Amino acid sequence: MWRFILKRFLLMIPTLLGVALVIFLLLRVIPGDVVEAKYMSGEGHGLSAQVIAEERAKLGLDKPVWHQFGIWVWGLLHLDLGVSMWTGSPITEEIELRFALSLQVALMATVFATILAIPLGVISALKQDTWVDYAVRVFSIAGLAMPSFWLGILMILCFLIFFHWVPPMIYTPFWVDPWQNMVQLIWPALAVGYRYSAVATRMTRSSMLEVLREDYIRTAHAKGLWLKLILVRHALKNAMLPVITVIGLEFAFLLGGLVVTEQVFNLNGLGLLFVQAIARRDYTLTQALVLLVASAFIFVNFVMDVMYAWIDPRIRFR
Amino acid sequence: MANAILADAADLVAPKPRGGWVDVVVTFSRRRPLGAIGAVIVVIMIAVALTARLIAPYDPLAIDFGAMLAAPSAAHWLGTDAFGRDVLSRIIYGSETALIVGFTAAFVGASAGVVLGVGSAYFGGKIDLVVQRIMDIFISFPLIILALAMVAILGNNLPNLITAITIPMIPRCALVIRSSALSVREMPYVDAARAAGFSHIRIILRHMLPNVMAPYLIMLTAFLGQAILLEASLSFLGLGVQEPTPAWGLMLSGAAVEFAERAPWMAIFPGIAISLAVFAFNLFGDSLRDALDPKLRSL
Repeated sequence: MWRFILKRFLLMIPTLLGVALVIFLLLRVIPGDVVEAKYMSGEGHGLSAQVIAEERAKLGLDKPVWHQFGIWVWGLLHLDLGVSMWTGSPITEEIELRFALSLQVALMATVFATILAIPLGVISALKQDTWVDYAVRVFSIAGLAMPSFWLGILMILCFLIFFHWVPPMIYTPFWVDPWQNMVQLIWPALAVGYRYSAVATRMTRSSMLEVLREDYIRTAHAKGLWLKLILVRHALKNAMLPVITVIGLEFAFLLGGLVVTEQVFNLNGLGLLFVQAIARRDYTLTQALVLLVASAFIFVNFVMDVMYAWIDPRIRFR
Repeated sequence: MANAILADAADLVAPKPRGGWVDVVVTFSRRRPLGAIGAVIVVIMIAVALTARLIAPYDPLAIDFGAMLAAPSAAHWLGTDAFGRDVLSRIIYGSETALIVGFTAAFVGASAGVVLGVGSAYFGGKIDLVVQRIMDIFISFPLIILALAMVAILGNNLPNLITAITIPMIPRCALVIRSSALSVREMPYVDAARAAGFSHIRIILRHMLPNVMAPYLIMLTAFLGQAILLEASLSFLGLGVQEPTPAWGLMLSGAAVEFAERAPWMAIFPGIAISLAVFAFNLFGDSLRDALDPKLRSL
């Protein structure tokens, strides 16, 4: 088992390095750089070539690309994300506040999605091809179909028209005023949570259907076991793994993938920061954000693989 | 193509009252009513997109300051936007944009994925390992973030937007196809083809590809909806289709939010169009998956 974990752990390194390399190169291919974005647009158009060259040198943009990459990775190895090219302040500082917000929304959406998805998926699988199943499936396909940002717009619209109220637009940290904080963040969490729960419901359903056809379930029925016990102890337990996987992966993506919904609710989270960072050609900040989200995703994948191997020994020796 | 063989066998036994594909359609709609509903909506949407010029009551670009933010009425069924443009006409023309983006991105993305997935599974060994690692890397990027980066690189006109949406789909398809291709590779007929001395290309095209058609079709329909959603999201952010081209996501951005209280129809109807389109594709795709390959899940 330990050998498997170690092997799987080491496999994360080339993937992470690959992500770092891809985003690094992608950013360099985007036309323009941070100096141009800062000084060449609008007012400061008349800056001399010399000043621009100096600015670039200050940010290390004049060095060869592989050299820049080396510096960045060397910093990463020391857990140093560097400073934002646009604001000049440390990236950890830039990310900190927004991370708290995005993490909270992602966590709330996860809780909501899980509470909704697992019962719905199980019922749908048990009542396969009845109207209950159809209703659940239509409900979850609708969740996949509705863009969460539109759901957000609809929510705001309803509040406006029926209650003449809008959710607060200014972020209050949870520890300052929990009520104010929840009143603001619960809506985006619900808006993305619906789609999220749809993904999880569908996985629960198909995974349950597969398990319910297994021999050991029939055996349990045959020996006259109480239905609830069969479901909880035998079926659900074995069907949960793929469900936990999609929940974990969606969670990792939610951290940085809230881009559009944040816009609707005027939240200053990681998604908005990401759009800004790309528009400003802030290489260091964009790299850090992508790496953050990608490592969350890769790590969730790793944990899931280890869990699979732990439960099913055949995987370990493959 | 076990299905085709079974169908042929069934044909020999059963009396054959109707033509082949009519039968297939009838059986499909009887067994999978939800899928049939989805298919009908898709067909209607395609018809609307094709006949947009004939059925749209107004020019989608015609600005009419006399009818700014007009509520739905007999003249403007779904109201008008901040420039007095007819919302219904813009939605009708928008279906063109959505379908072009959806079909092209899904088709190219799934096809490229199929080639990579089958090739990777067929050659195995080092090639497989390298292709898998590269796919792993690209899958680790959230869809929207990769698309955003691609748009920034390519600049946003329609073909570039389609490319930006296509690229994140390729690895997701390749992964699924690879796992089914792996089992196809172990089939005796592939060994036989190899023993007969056929070229790699021929074996891949003639022997392996036809046998991963089921997951391919399933991925294709799943991507259709996703591509439309992604296009809407990018356009909403102002990074996709540009004004004045009618596109659903674009119609939701800017003025729609600003005037939400005064003119809620601007925010409601384009969203319904997006949801209905994606809903129909997913409904159809789901039933197709159940019919073709009940064991395949995900997405």
